[in-house]
Amino acid sequence: MSTFTHGNVSVEVDEDGFMLEPEKWNEDVAKALATTEGVNELGEEHWKLVHYLRNYFLQFGVAPMIRKLCKETGYDLKKVYELFPSGPAKGACKVAGLAKPTGCV
Amino acid sequence: MKDRIKLTDMSRRDRKPLAHLENQDLMPLPYPLEAPEKDHAWAVLSDKVTGSVECGLDDTCAINIPQPKTREDEDELVKKFLAGLDKLFTKENNWTFLQPLVLSMEHCAKCQTCSDACHIYEASGENELYRPTFRSEIVRRLYFKSVKHGGVLSAWQHGDIDVNWPLVARLAELAYRCNLCRRCAQTCPIGADNGLVAHELRKVFSQELGINAKECHDNGSVLQLKVGSSTGMSSLVVKDNIEFIDEDMMDRTGIKVETPWDVEGADVLLIHNAGEILAWPENPGAFALILSAAGIKWTLSSELAGYDSINYGLWYDDAQFARVAIKHAQAAKKLGVKKIVLGECGHAHKALSVIADRVLTGDLNIPRESSMTLLRDIVMNDRLKLDPSRNAFPVTLHDPCNLVRLMGVVEPQREIVRKICPQFREMEPHGVDNYCCGGGSGFAIMSGNNFQDWRFHVSGRKKMEQVLNAFAECMDPSINKYICAPCSNCKGQFRDMLAYYDLWNKNRILYGGLVELIVNCMVDAKPGFIDWEWH
Repeated sequence: MSTFTHGNVSVEVDEDGFMLEPEKWNEDVAKALATTEGVNELGEEHWKLVHYLRNYFLQFGVAPMIRKLCKETGYDLKKVYELFPSGPAKGACKVAGLAKPTGCV
Repeated sequence: MKDRIKLTDMSRRDRKPLAHLENQDLMPLPYPLEAPEKDHAWAVLSDKVTGSVECGLDDTCAINIPQPKTREDEDELVKKFLAGLDKLFTKENNWTFLQPLVLSMEHCAKCQTCSDACHIYEASGENELYRPTFRSEIVRRLYFKSVKHGGVLSAWQHGDIDVNWPLVARLAELAYRCNLCRRCAQTCPIGADNGLVAHELRKVFSQELGINAKECHDNGSVLQLKVGSSTGMSSLVVKDNIEFIDEDMMDRTGIKVETPWDVEGADVLLIHNAGEILAWPENPGAFALILSAAGIKWTLSSELAGYDSINYGLWYDDAQFARVAIKHAQAAKKLGVKKIVLGECGHAHKALSVIADRVLTGDLNIPRESSMTLLRDIVMNDRLKLDPSRNAFPVTLHDPCNLVRLMGVVEPQREIVRKICPQFREMEPHGVDNYCCGGGSGFAIMSGNNFQDWRFHVSGRKKMEQVLNAFAECMDPSINKYICAPCSNCKGQFRDMLAYYDLWNKNRILYGGLVELIVNCMVDAKPGFIDWEWH
């Protein structure tokens, strides 16, 4: 566990950089976390993914299936990797302030 | 040449790692990974980590034990460990594993047949620290010294060891440098079981000191017992996801699938590793399609843990193991099903079919079957119309250790792939002599610090060699290749390894389960179920 600081943003993260207190997420946090994923600017497409993940997480308490994410945002997996190079779980979910996925996933 | 690590080094008071591996030290790999200088560099542990948790063993750290503040704290932990060790050797506390453990302590002839069999020892370039008997020899010395209260003569006969916190801390980490694949135990002429010794160590640390891997415990079995699944999926979420999978299957195959939930008196209660539902939904989708098409009366359960077959306790904690096993059996009992069938998950197979047999008594001891045999009966009895020419690509079969070596389920899955995959080729060696994927015993889901680097370079190395050899003549990227791995944990390891070495992008090696191959060649399904997309 450590504190991640970027500009005015300061949040507690685990050793892989996932938020430990997902309820403290906001768009500024997302922008700050994105820099750790090599994404320096979040465009409209990034936000669409991030908001989808965030809303799903708030509703169900877990990350959505990747296939569901693709179907409902209209982005295929390749596109997701283009937007977040470490992929949907390690990249996009992290920026959306979800906790690190658990179990055999 | 490097200094040979000695057993007594484990008690060294400094926190300097005992072993350090360079890529050049490791077992060489075949094309296209033959150049160690082109291999990835290992991530180095940060000063923050080395300054706050115990990492005096090697280049990595799996379980993040906080460094004790004072010598008194250290002594307290050592005391707890030794008391736990005593309990391991009493019938009242360890009736399940006492006999093979004592046998392993008393009778090892140190012939080192096991070392030749161990993929971790071999892949590390035969580093002494990873020799299967290194860990066991420490425990053996502790056994004679502390448990049996041997005096000077015993120390002379069996070897002595300084008992202190650095030794205990290193031993805890070392318990997590073994995949528990038990290839060593299989080859031992006496039946000594070094894998069991690693397992028993993990157990003492978890049950007596609260030290374990958080991926397996806090985020694993604890979460499963709380919300129903280690993935965090509640029954509401899992039902929603399965509904999505059913629709997706209809789109992809043209066959309507409706997964049944909580059907009382069904012939089969199918329990998947819930990770499949989230990460590899085509697998539970394919199961649903096959079982329905074959006319099986089956169901899923939405009971707590009834829809997630994982039982991580198998790897580190008997109490957590028993709690989860009982939940599984209760879910089946509540529905009054005739039997439980386990999906494509190796450790869940061994946990519920074999080990739980000593926990489930009376009417909880409901028959359990492997999906491998059920699928074999369906496929070999021609209950589905199949066209093997749709699977005309190179396929190799990975043997999950828990399912194959440790349960003897060797042939059913082979009969199927031989029948439906015209370009099937075995890895060498295979069957009960297989090598672990490198993700066994929880490693596939353990990624804290730089543990993945160790997993990719060391524990997963032998399997990577086998895969590359199996596909040696068809490595060209114009040919799609498929590793059939009927186990979620193994699939996770393959996914991560193939991505790490870019073998999908550069050589078109993909991985997946067994049921996907069956659906891919079902005549009634639209062609192209396996879509050759990375997932």
